Amino acid sequence: MQTSEVKSKFESILNEQEDVSTGIAAIMTLMEVLKHYNSITIQGLIEELKVAMEAMKDTNYSAAAITSGCELFRRFITLGTMDYHTFDECKEIMLKRGNLFLKKLKEAKGKVMKLGSQFIIDGSKILTHSRSRVVLHTLREAAKQNRYFEVFVTKSQPDDSGIRMCKDLTELNIPCTLILDSAIGYVMEEVDFVMVGAEAVVESGGIVNKIGSYTMAVCAKAMNKPFYVLAESFKFSRVFPLNQSDLPDEYKYSPEMRKRDLSKEHPLVDYTPPALITLLFTDLGILTPSAVSDELIKLYL
Amino acid sequence: MLETELVDVINLISDIRHGKVYTSYDVAIHTEQLIEKLISEGQWNTAEDLMVLIKARINRIMSALPQESTPVNIMRHILKIIRELYDTGFKYKSEGQQSLHHLITSNVDNAEDYSKPLPSLRSSLLDHLAEYKTGLELSTDNIATQALEHIHADEIILTVGKSNTVEKFLKHAAEKRKFQVIVVEAAPLYHGHEMAINLTKSNIQTTVIPDSAVFAMMSRVNKVIIGTHTVMANGGLRAACGVHMVALAAKRYSVPIMVLAHMYKLSPLHLCYEQDAFNICASPADVLPYSSGPIINKVHVYNPVFDYVPPDLVTLFISHQGGNAPSYVYRLLSELYDPNDNEI
Repeated sequence: MQTSEVKSKFESILNEQEDVSTGIAAIMTLMEVLKHYNSITIQGLIEELKVAMEAMKDTNYSAAAITSGCELFRRFITLGTMDYHTFDECKEIMLKRGNLFLKKLKEAKGKVMKLGSQFIIDGSKILTHSRSRVVLHTLREAAKQNRYFEVFVTKSQPDDSGIRMCKDLTELNIPCTLILDSAIGYVMEEVDFVMVGAEAVVESGGIVNKIGSYTMAVCAKAMNKPFYVLAESFKFSRVFPLNQSDLPDEYKYSPEMRKRDLSKEHPLVDYTPPALITLLFTDLGILTPSAVSDELIKLYL
Repeated sequence: MLETELVDVINLISDIRHGKVYTSYDVAIHTEQLIEKLISEGQWNTAEDLMVLIKARINRIMSALPQESTPVNIMRHILKIIRELYDTGFKYKSEGQQSLHHLITSNVDNAEDYSKPLPSLRSSLLDHLAEYKTGLELSTDNIATQALEHIHADEIILTVGKSNTVEKFLKHAAEKRKFQVIVVEAAPLYHGHEMAINLTKSNIQTTVIPDSAVFAMMSRVNKVIIGTHTVMANGGLRAACGVHMVALAAKRYSVPIMVLAHMYKLSPLHLCYEQDAFNICASPADVLPYSSGPIINKVHVYNPVFDYVPPDLVTLFISHQGGNAPSYVYRLLSELYDPNDNEI
């Protein structure tokens, strides 16, 4: 597939299917690449997948989510190549297993929702940041179980995604308040816990998420409030940032921004270290940050 | 399921409620015996039948004694043993724990099917249970043998109330080393007094202090060694009331806290699931005797039994396998229980 084809395929998946997260869309696109691949070597296939991944990163979607999704898929291909006689046979098996794999990934959100909604008890006040599908669905799930709770949502500059989150919550009849990003400290004393999504979960057990998450985590720690992260396991990523400047530029800036002087640009994501995270709710269960590195080691060793 | 079929577990519940089975070790042994009897004499043909029988008992205990996690933990562990034996019996590649690696490599939808009869299951289960029971019986001794690694000469150790495991641990260390123990009396039950008497019998230099003196004494303490009722999934504790205060004082003075915990005290549940059921209140008579006169009508008296201690206050858990940090509890849990059994 041509680079432009890959890009348009990837973007059309995300535009058409509201419920699909970036990571899954990236994997779905790679499945398309695999389907249309007509050379006959694994080596060539891996090369083509790499090109497709670079192409997707060149779009305006979160590079962190795309990278972790694609890395997982590539790992899946390399672990999956077994002793088959012909490449076609191998490809067929890969496609079959790929679909099964995708199906499991799509079930992940349901599992996360189920685990996360248990922590929302009657009367809770929850602070969340930006707009995350999995957080929204978890809150919806808790509301469905007739729990009464209140949500504070940050406006989340620069894209103001919090406004949309607040609108979505209001439609679900969940009481919610939009707050300024700078008011995180102000509301922290009245909330019971913080619940955010993640673009990627890194090897240390920390997360990469919309800018401002780190501020929120530091603030939550200072006031002794639990900081919960909801993330499906396909967001687990093999990077180990030590500080903010350690994050790859492609995570922090959009392709357009990268063409300009970076010192004048606003980063889009930040890194929240594991020490500030209480628990991560994933489809593999409720994990402490240290359990995340364990999972990644098991996979990539 | 009919009430009559659950009579064994109903008896156990009543024994626990009436204090006939009091220490968690006794609860553990009784639970193990109950399940052993169920396996050898119960009406079941397949692993699935047996799991249904055990789950019915778990549900019964969870609803009757929500804060009593030991019997449920043991039954959960036995469920895992059943799953493993079934899988090995049919030469299935054990699914093991949910992991990212498994998500990627597994070929099939993991359909859970335990309905095929396996004739050897009963006998092999009984073998495994016998082994498990010996493990239970030796657990306290195994923990005690590690005492010399943690208690050094001339140290001052602080402990709260009475715990059989801690008592054995200290006595084992006292055979070789001289050290001093400070026992917090733990009002209103004052089990600490009994503990102090038992320790002095083994020639350990013991001081009893009131609960209010913990902070004052903490600066001289080298180590806090306590037992616990339950270890929660995040590494937090459900321990006797007053332990949180001790843990905070220890944190203030950077004194390490060792928690002696048998494996059956590890619960795969998090605090949130059971907010209301987390604590229980004992009779207020211990706090304010009924003989106190008219004041009784004018005041509220509470006597909570447990404290929740967050994991960041605990330094080390010591089980029969050795020491583990609270952040490692999740690994122990995945070895002990099957993730499918966490919620029943």
